[in-house]
Amino acid sequence: MAVDATAHAPERTMDVALKIWRFDSSTGERELADYEVAAPEWVTLLDVLDLIKDQVDGSLAYRKSCRMMICGSCGMRMDGGAVLACKVRMYDIAKAGHVPVISAMGNLPIVKDLVVDMEPFWAKFKAMKPWLQPGYDQPEPNQEHVISQERMNVIHKESLCINCGCCVSECNSMESDPEFLGPQALAKGMRFVGDPRDAAKVERLDAYSSEHGIWDCTRCYFCNERCPKGVDPRDAIAKLGAEAMAAGIDEDMGAKHANWFVTSAKTTGWLRETELVPKTQGVVSSIKQMKFAMGLAVKGKVPPPIPPHVAEGVKESRALFDLVKQQGRGGALGIVQGERALSRLEHEVGHASGGGGDQGVGSRDQADITPGEEPTRKRGGE
Amino acid sequence: MNRVAYYKGCLASLSAKELDISTQALSPKVGLELVEIETVTCCGAGDIHEAEPDYYLHLNARILAYAEATGCETLMTVCNVCTLNLRQANFQLVGDEALRDRVNKNLAKVGVPEYGGTVDVRHFLWMVAEGEGYELLKAAAHKGLKGLKVAPFYGCQILRPSKLLGFEDPDRPSSLERIIEACGGEAIDYPAKIKCCGFPIIQAREETALGELIQPIEQAKEAGADAIVTPCPLCHLSLDAWQSKLKAATGKDFQMPILHLSQLIGVAAGLEESELRFKRHVVSVGPVVEKLSV
Repeated sequence: MAVDATAHAPERTMDVALKIWRFDSSTGERELADYEVAAPEWVTLLDVLDLIKDQVDGSLAYRKSCRMMICGSCGMRMDGGAVLACKVRMYDIAKAGHVPVISAMGNLPIVKDLVVDMEPFWAKFKAMKPWLQPGYDQPEPNQEHVISQERMNVIHKESLCINCGCCVSECNSMESDPEFLGPQALAKGMRFVGDPRDAAKVERLDAYSSEHGIWDCTRCYFCNERCPKGVDPRDAIAKLGAEAMAAGIDEDMGAKHANWFVTSAKTTGWLRETELVPKTQGVVSSIKQMKFAMGLAVKGKVPPPIPPHVAEGVKESRALFDLVKQQGRGGALGIVQGERALSRLEHEVGHASGGGGDQGVGSRDQADITPGEEPTRKRGGE
Repeated sequence: MNRVAYYKGCLASLSAKELDISTQALSPKVGLELVEIETVTCCGAGDIHEAEPDYYLHLNARILAYAEATGCETLMTVCNVCTLNLRQANFQLVGDEALRDRVNKNLAKVGVPEYGGTVDVRHFLWMVAEGEGYELLKAAAHKGLKGLKVAPFYGCQILRPSKLLGFEDPDRPSSLERIIEACGGEAIDYPAKIKCCGFPIIQAREETALGELIQPIEQAKEAGADAIVTPCPLCHLSLDAWQSKLKAATGKDFQMPILHLSQLIGVAAGLEESELRFKRHVVSVGPVVEKLSV
C-alpha cells in the first residue's frame, strides 16, 4: 500500500458488517444479530467491536485489554475459527463483501455474548504447576548462572504463549473429553519440562502422562492452526511424549502404542498392525476385543503376523536406529532440531476470511530460534 | 503421463489393500504413471515422531532419498498421515542445510543414497483436484455417479497444519467437493467434515476417540448422505471398521458406507469390482452399488 504523502488527508473509511451471536446465560436466550458501522480502513475486528459498542449497542460484551496481541484477552471465533480480535485486519474481508459470523470461543462455557468463563482453562493451567522449581546449586558469590541459548531453544516456542485460549477453542479431544488437559496447559508444561533450571522434570512428566494428559491428544492439529503466536502446541505435546519416553515413563497405552511403531520400523520396516492391539492394550484387553477383531479379520483387515511383511531395506532402517541412538538427540531435541527450518515457513494459502488466517501479520510472531539472524519473512512477493 | 514415485505406506500395503489396488487401476486414467520406489519403510505415523523423533527424521529422509533416486519430482502419497510426516521431514531437511548434512552423513553410513532435497511430497487428492489431473479425471469419470449423495470427509493431516500442507484453505476446503461433482455426485455439506476421526487414539483412549468418530458419521447420515468419501486410509479404517463399536456404545446403527477417494473416482470411471474391492469393507457398500446400477 502506498504511503499517503498528504499530512492531513481525511481518513479513508469503509462499511464493515458483522453478524454476532449474542447470548445471555441467565435467560439462555441466543440471537444472531446484524451490525454495520463505518470504520477507518485500518481497523481490526476488535476496533469494529469497539465501534459497535460505542455507537450501536452498549450492551455487547467482550474482553479486551492491550489491543496489541500480547495480553491474550480478546480470543473469539470468526466464522467458526478462534482468532485474537486485535490481530485480524478487516480491510480485505470488508472489501470482499464478506460478513463474518463472530461468536464466543468453543470448549468453554459462555457467560455473555463473546465472553467465556475461563475458570476451567485456568484450573488446567494451574494443574501444570506453572512455576520454576529451581534445581540448580547456588552460584558462587558474585557469579551468575549462564545457560546456553541452545538449551533454551528447546522451549523458545512454548515461551511465546499468552494464554489466550485460541488453541483450546477447537481442540477435538477436549470436545470429546472435557477433562483433557489440552493444548495450552500441556504446552505450558513443556515450557517447564524443557527448562534446564527446573528440578521437577520427572515428576512433571509423570503427572502430565495421566489419563487426561499427553496421550489423550488426538493430533487434529487445530491448536497449531489457531495459535496466534506460533507456539504450535501439538508439537509441544509431542516433545512431552518424547521426553516422557526418554525418561522411561512409558506405561500409558499411548506410549506403548508409539513404542510399537518404533519396534515395527526397526524389525520389519512396516507397521506390524495385528500385534499393535496386544502391544498397546495388553493381552487381557485384547482377548476382550476378539469378537471385534474377528469381524475385521473376515474382511482381510487383520493381516496375519506370520510370515511377517518385511520391507526390503529393513537392515538399513535398523542400522539407522542404532546409529542415531548414539548421537545424543533423544527426547525433545529430535523435534527441536527441525524447528529452525519450519519457522521459516509461512501460511502460504490466503485464507480469505478469519478462521485463523493472519492476513500477513504473522511473521513477527513466528518462532525463529536463531537469535541474531534475519527475522523470518513471508516467502514470495507481496 | 506424469511419472510419480508412489509411496503406499503401511495400511495400503496390508489391511487397506483395496486402496492400493484401486489407486493402481485408476492412475493411468488420470494421467499418473506410478513408479515403484526401490525400498521404503513406514513413515512412523506420528508415533515415531513422538517416541523417537530423531529416528523419525532419518526414516523419512531415507524414504525421500529413495524416492529422489527414481528421478521423479513428486513422491505421491495416498494417506494423510504419511503426507504430513513426509512433508514435515522434507521441509526440515530442505530448509536447514546443516541438518540435512548431518542426516545425509548418517544415511551414507548405512548405505542409503544422499538426499538432495528435490522431492515434492503430494497426496493423490492434490494430483487430481486441479490442473491436468482434474481435466483427465473429468474425462475419465464417464459413467458418473447418478447423483449419489456423497459426504466428503477430509481428515486432519491433509489440512492442518496448513503451513506444512497448504494445498487449500484448511477451514473451507473444496477439493473433495469439486471431485465428487466432477464425477457426477452431489456433495453433502456438514460441519464435521474437517474434524478428527479419532483414529490416533482409538486404541489408547477409545471413549474419547468414539466421541470424535460419531460426529462425521451422524452428521453425514442426517444430511442424507449415501456414503462418505475420504482421502485417508486411517480415517477409512476408523469410520468403516469402528462403526460397530459406535453401535455398541450408543445403540445407533448407521450402516454408512465409507469409500476411499480412489474407489469413488474409480466407480465413476468404470473400474470393475476386482479393481475396487468393496468386499474388503466392514460396512457393506451394497446400497451404493445398487443405487448406481439402477
